[in-house]
Amino acid sequence: MGGPSLATQGFRAVPSLRYLNSTPAFFFADDGTSTGGFNHDGRARTLAEQAQRPFLAPHEMANASKADVLDKVRRAAYAEELRAAFGAAILDDADAAFDRIAFALQQFQKEDPAFHPFSSKYDRFLAGKAQLSDAELRGLGLFNNPGKGNCAACHPSAKSADGASPLFTDFSYDNLGVPRNAAIAATADPAYFDMGLCGPDRTDLTARQDLCGAFKVPTLRNVATRKTFFHNGAFTTLRDVLRFYVRRDTNPEEWYPLAADGTADRFNDLPAALRGNVNTTEAPYNRKPGMAPALSDAEIEDLLQFLGTLNDDNQS
Amino acid sequence: MMKKTLLAQALVTALAIAPAAHADEAALMKRLDQLAAELEKVKAELAATRQKADAVEQRQQAATPTAPAAPAPAAPATAAAPTAPAAPAGPATASVAPTVPSAQPVPVPAPAPAPAVPTAVVTSPASPAGSTYPGIQAPEAPRTVFSAYGEINYNRPTRNASGAQLDVRRTVLGFEHRFDERTKVVTELEWEHAVTSASDQGEAAVEQVYVEREFDTGLRAKAGLFLVPAGLLNQNHEPTAYYGVERNFVETAIIPTTWREAGVGVGKTLDNGLALEGGLTTGFDLNKWDASSSEGRESPLGSIHQEGQLARARNFAVYGAANWRGMPGLLLGGSVFTGTVGHATPNFAANDARVTLWDLHARYNPGRWDLSALYARGTISNTEALNLTFVGNPAPVPSSFYGWYGQAAYRLWKQGDYSLFPFARYERFNTAKTFAAVPAGLGVATAPDERVVTVGANLRVGSGVVLKADYQKFAEDKSRDRVNLGVGFSF
Amino acid sequence: MNALQWTAVAAGLALTPSAFAAQYLTAQQAQALIFPDATAFKDASLQLTADQMRAIESSAGLPARSAAWRVVSAWQGDRLLGHMVLDDVIGKFELISYAVGLAPDATVIQVEILAYRESHGFEIRNAAWRKQFVGKTAADKVAVGDNIANISGATLSSTHVTEGVRRIVAMAQVALKK
Repeated sequence: MGGPSLATQGFRAVPSLRYLNSTPAFFFADDGTSTGGFNHDGRARTLAEQAQRPFLAPHEMANASKADVLDKVRRAAYAEELRAAFGAAILDDADAAFDRIAFALQQFQKEDPAFHPFSSKYDRFLAGKAQLSDAELRGLGLFNNPGKGNCAACHPSAKSADGASPLFTDFSYDNLGVPRNAAIAATADPAYFDMGLCGPDRTDLTARQDLCGAFKVPTLRNVATRKTFFHNGAFTTLRDVLRFYVRRDTNPEEWYPLAADGTADRFNDLPAALRGNVNTTEAPYNRKPGMAPALSDAEIEDLLQFLGTLNDDNQS
Repeated sequence: MMKKTLLAQALVTALAIAPAAHADEAALMKRLDQLAAELEKVKAELAATRQKADAVEQRQQAATPTAPAAPAPAAPATAAAPTAPAAPAGPATASVAPTVPSAQPVPVPAPAPAPAVPTAVVTSPASPAGSTYPGIQAPEAPRTVFSAYGEINYNRPTRNASGAQLDVRRTVLGFEHRFDERTKVVTELEWEHAVTSASDQGEAAVEQVYVEREFDTGLRAKAGLFLVPAGLLNQNHEPTAYYGVERNFVETAIIPTTWREAGVGVGKTLDNGLALEGGLTTGFDLNKWDASSSEGRESPLGSIHQEGQLARARNFAVYGAANWRGMPGLLLGGSVFTGTVGHATPNFAANDARVTLWDLHARYNPGRWDLSALYARGTISNTEALNLTFVGNPAPVPSSFYGWYGQAAYRLWKQGDYSLFPFARYERFNTAKTFAAVPAGLGVATAPDERVVTVGANLRVGSGVVLKADYQKFAEDKSRDRVNLGVGFSF
Repeated sequence: MNALQWTAVAAGLALTPSAFAAQYLTAQQAQALIFPDATAFKDASLQLTADQMRAIESSAGLPARSAAWRVVSAWQGDRLLGHMVLDDVIGKFELISYAVGLAPDATVIQVEILAYRESHGFEIRNAAWRKQFVGKTAADKVAVGDNIANISGATLSSTHVTEGVRRIVAMAQVALKK
């Protein structure tokens, strides 16, 4: 919710700003995989670019214009610091100032270790300095196992060869067929579809219909502290998220509204023609109705325990 | 003296451009006559020089009553030796002290203070192979020698025709440059799979580059990137040196041929046939272990080797090798290599892990048989904490891996340039024999040892070309059964 | 001509005596090892005729290579003890200098390695390996893999030296045999 009185509804859940300092700008990898970029659809190439929109977006801070923002900044306590860093005339030119403010925000996010503390129990475990409990260890096993959770396929959990700690994202995009969230007012219009890479917010890839419905794989660090999940906030607990992953295909009626004939309206947040884009080939969402889900309820509890170890210390 | 030198030089020139001998009768006879004539002149010079030497001798004896019978130094010295035709000044040869069993005590002719006129025939690396004519003194010029080998292999899995593949497996160019009698540099460059680029699968690599120096005691020392003396294949990996199209599994999956490290090494061959080597080099980097990929299962050490490429060097490794060839046709040997592999990486759970690989091997060549056997075992210690972080992944770090093989080849048939060597080989290996213990249910099961039987033949054409064919049968993973054909060369 | 001068001749046909291991023996040291009873050594270097070279080729199955050979004959008083032939062959990269001692009937008495510079295959110098040549004649056609054992890891060196000895024995049969 945003806007001048915090009453205007937005369209997407707010992503975390943590652990973004090594995300690359959007590009297509050698094998065609969409990679990188900021925001759920990767349309901002840099943190600075991403920082600009919230100031002006009507459903966010709803400033009227860049000049409007500048008026407020000029009255702020740190106006002199800005002038000291960027020159005395900086606050006189709206475009240049706005640009530099976004730049300053970017550098703050990149440099301040508070944005990437790596202070979780899991980090200590990776260093050999802490033990995981039995349940947490089982959860890690399920997370990594390609035949069970297979989460590490998009959310890598291992250190890289150069010793860098895992970010739990490979910066790629996936199409999960998340159910339509009626709580978003815009969804009342049946013709409204938020399709991520191919639009409507992002405008440069509208021709790539094969990418419709794909959204960025976020980091899982501190995921256990979140209250809303996925780009449209369709779920409010992590347990529901995990159950969705493994039961989406085996029990679709638990997630989607039933059509007139009693079958579940699967992937109802995409136009019918594009529902084929949804990922149904990778574990754990490659099963069929009637099959057992990849994780049992007890295993989901173990996995939740493990995900809790990804919270940085000052969070949990 | 001038005349003699000119004559000598003429002789050298004549011989230097003498082509290798073939029974080209007329030309040969003509040259023989010419040489005979010049030999007469050399003999005349010999007589003259001898008289001069006698004179010098007598003066010396007059000066010092007894001359020490010490060996002449190796420094350029002229003495009562026949003045051979002088080549342009190379390191001259000296006459040797009379250690000949002679009844008469003979005074050593003192080195005359003449300039370094070469006085004797030498065999010299610069003279073409087989040049045996007396009177040649070629300068000890540095020389560069090129070598190369290559193999093109065809593999056809018997149960999967679409997996057939023909690959220019490797093309290697090497050169060895000898700076002087004691010092040389050895380099080997390799191209794998024909094409290397960002979007191709080939690899271009430096396999070896090192300098080597020989010392008075027979000790040799080298520094640079060089092959580790382990197993039978690592240092003799040309396609003409082994039986079968593909190198055997024990010496690719367990001993990661071609395995090279960067550092220093020393070696010496003793008179009893024992060759000893040792050294201090880079080792492996366990930070490179990727538990989610199959690379570690295919070859544990191959997946974490550094090959001198921006190699982590906080931890070094040491190696030693001993090979005995005291009995003709028999080789017995072994090696060991050990080093820690964490390199003090911050927040790494296995900084004190240690890799050790040792092997024992034997090769026996009685008559037409070529029999060989090898056993190799590797261990990685202190992997418990690291493997806990890998739970659920298919390839945690093994604690031990091993392999052995026995092979027999026989020269069945030889006709002119061609010789046929049928062979059979049995190998047994396991790239992950044991793992460090993890809580129940979270570990990866150890797989049974793989056992491979290879039967086939090498057909040698001349001394540098080989055609190969073989069939390989796998006991565990039958989808890998295959027929292989290959052509290789080496010079 | 006294002994000194003839030994000097032999030295003249020999290598630079050197302080380091690549050159193990000088020709003079080799002749002393092969013919310890000799009182005199004489230069018996020879030039082959075309006919002789052809005979060598057909006997040895190898190219005769050179018409000129460095030979030293060993005498005990008036009795010929035998000959020493000096030769070089390429191993893999480097020249190997060696000497073959032959009895007057062209049978091998001894093989000595004078210089060896390769990085591998020093075992060629072992007495046990060289002893395989003792007593061989041209008829034996010494060859690695047949009557001469290979040196593992030094196949080229052992093969080329063996071929050299085969050629020398054939040459001795043709040109030196008494």
